[in-house]
Amino acid sequence: MNLLIALMVIVPILCALFLNLLHKRDRTIKVVTVLLALALPALPLLANYGLHYFGGYAPLVENPTLSANLPSMITGTALNTFHPAITYSFQSAQQLFVFILGLVALLAIFVSLFETRRPSGVYAYMMFMGVAAVTAVILTDDIFNLYVFFEIAALATVGIVLVSNIKGNYETALKYMIMGSIAAPLLLLGIALLLGVTGNVNITDIIYSLKNGLVDPQNPVLLMACGLIIFGWLYGSGLPPFHTIKSAIYSKALPSGAALIQTFSVFIFVALGIIILRIFSYLPFSQWVILGVSLLAMILGITMAILQTDLKRMIGFLAVGELGYIGIGLGLSTAYGITAGLFQAVNEAMITALLFLGFGVVLYQTGVSDTRKLGGMMVKNPLVALMVLLAGFAMAGVPPLNAFQSKLMLIQGSIKAGLPELGVIMILLSIVTFMTFMKAFHAVYLRPQPVDLEIKNEKIPKATLIAMLVLLGVCLIFGLFPQIATSYLQPLATSLAGGML
Amino acid sequence: MIIDVQLASLFTAVALIVIGIFAAVFLDNLIKKVIGLAFIGDGVNLFLISMGYKAGGIVYIYLPGMAADWFAQNAAYPLPFALVLTSIVIGASTMAVMLGIIIVLYKKRGSISASKILGE
Repeated sequence: MNLLIALMVIVPILCALFLNLLHKRDRTIKVVTVLLALALPALPLLANYGLHYFGGYAPLVENPTLSANLPSMITGTALNTFHPAITYSFQSAQQLFVFILGLVALLAIFVSLFETRRPSGVYAYMMFMGVAAVTAVILTDDIFNLYVFFEIAALATVGIVLVSNIKGNYETALKYMIMGSIAAPLLLLGIALLLGVTGNVNITDIIYSLKNGLVDPQNPVLLMACGLIIFGWLYGSGLPPFHTIKSAIYSKALPSGAALIQTFSVFIFVALGIIILRIFSYLPFSQWVILGVSLLAMILGITMAILQTDLKRMIGFLAVGELGYIGIGLGLSTAYGITAGLFQAVNEAMITALLFLGFGVVLYQTGVSDTRKLGGMMVKNPLVALMVLLAGFAMAGVPPLNAFQSKLMLIQGSIKAGLPELGVIMILLSIVTFMTFMKAFHAVYLRPQPVDLEIKNEKIPKATLIAMLVLLGVCLIFGLFPQIATSYLQPLATSLAGGML
Repeated sequence: MIIDVQLASLFTAVALIVIGIFAAVFLDNLIKKVIGLAFIGDGVNLFLISMGYKAGGIVYIYLPGMAADWFAQNAAYPLPFALVLTSIVIGASTMAVMLGIIIVLYKKRGSISASKILGE
């Protein structure tokens, strides 16, 4: 049993609870928060691969002492292999996901402490709590445990928006919660139906029951469960029809908060997508549903981004469009396609966070996020402008940056899977992404500064520059040496494509 | 018994979910919307509890003197009950946050009409 696997969730929760007590103590909050946040990317690097059984309750087959005293109606059946406790699974793919989540969280927390005049323990609490919840969503092999943390992540997201103090944040948060209060119970209903049919909430055990004829895989109740879980997946990750509220949520959070929230969306999207693939891949339509929804997200997200005049809203819609690329990779259901999709997820989390932080500097200096009122920012901060430009290039898939590698893999994967049309659509949408980004970049940085634009803060916090440089550095490394990331993702992708999980 | 208890519970759960969705979508008063959302959660919880029902079964507490085989065959399935407890806690916290936001919005805007507050 590897205790560090559980600590990846427990440590951020404890940090969150501790920081919540520190409000109104500015200096202490800054030091303690940064020190605690360092644990977020460090823990996944220190932990060994394996399973963690909460309470120490391993399956009976691994515990001969206990099973010796039990009747044969338990030990002689599939119950012998079932997981009695909540199980967390930590393999190479999860290591990379939790590391990237921890890295973005560390940088977002670091930036938030130096961009706000009075650092708030409550804000740090929400960020740590969200990280704990999404880490659990990534690690858990228990679908009900996933639901619990899915809800906690949604509450933390709302908390990050409420703390931001941006006009209209309460209204947007309430809308998001109302939609969530319909979607999340429906996700739970899907889980209840799975439980009703299979008698289990452990995903590995559910798959065992389906594959070994313990339950009829063609049971119509399973189709309904699949539909409801997909509905929850759409809400959690902000796919259509929830894309407008999700981008509104990004626009009502502080840039550091938005950077973190979009990372939550990416990893919830990946975690639930993997679960849908694992449980329902035997249903022929599941692949087409994933592909269809992803295609819709790409088209709607990117085309709606063109129309936006608010910087954060524009990046929000672009982020939804990029989620579509990840979904295409998962939907291809080949080892190469899934690796490409998962690689795209890792890249998108970092690139979008970088864009939020970069355009956040403009917001910090001017207090304006409307592109029609901005201009001339290149003169004020050329280094930030260069980093934002590179981030935009990365998002559009310009070589040698990371998303170029993942998008190239996705296009190759779609051709190999016999769906070259998807490759054509992805190329066209990448061009539209590039145009959208360049339009915003021109408006903010290249055109002359409007006369009425007032610069409130000349000096940019060093923390923001450091955070952006780190993210850009990782983007460049993954772009030049993609095998660093793909080698972590391939084992999971191969198992998913081969139906071995 | 005229109607099976489990079946009646399932029908009630579906009715609660449908009424809840109707209230959440069509009612304008934010408090009524939240009550509708609570109905959806309650319906799903009732659905989960119904999963664990066993006609003629016993409470899943293993007492001294009970034969393990007999207990395993007759005890109700405990997992759904444990899940529902957690689900109730999540539902309560979500509702508390929503009501808190509505209080703030009422103080700011003087209304709890969804079309006035959220419609803009």
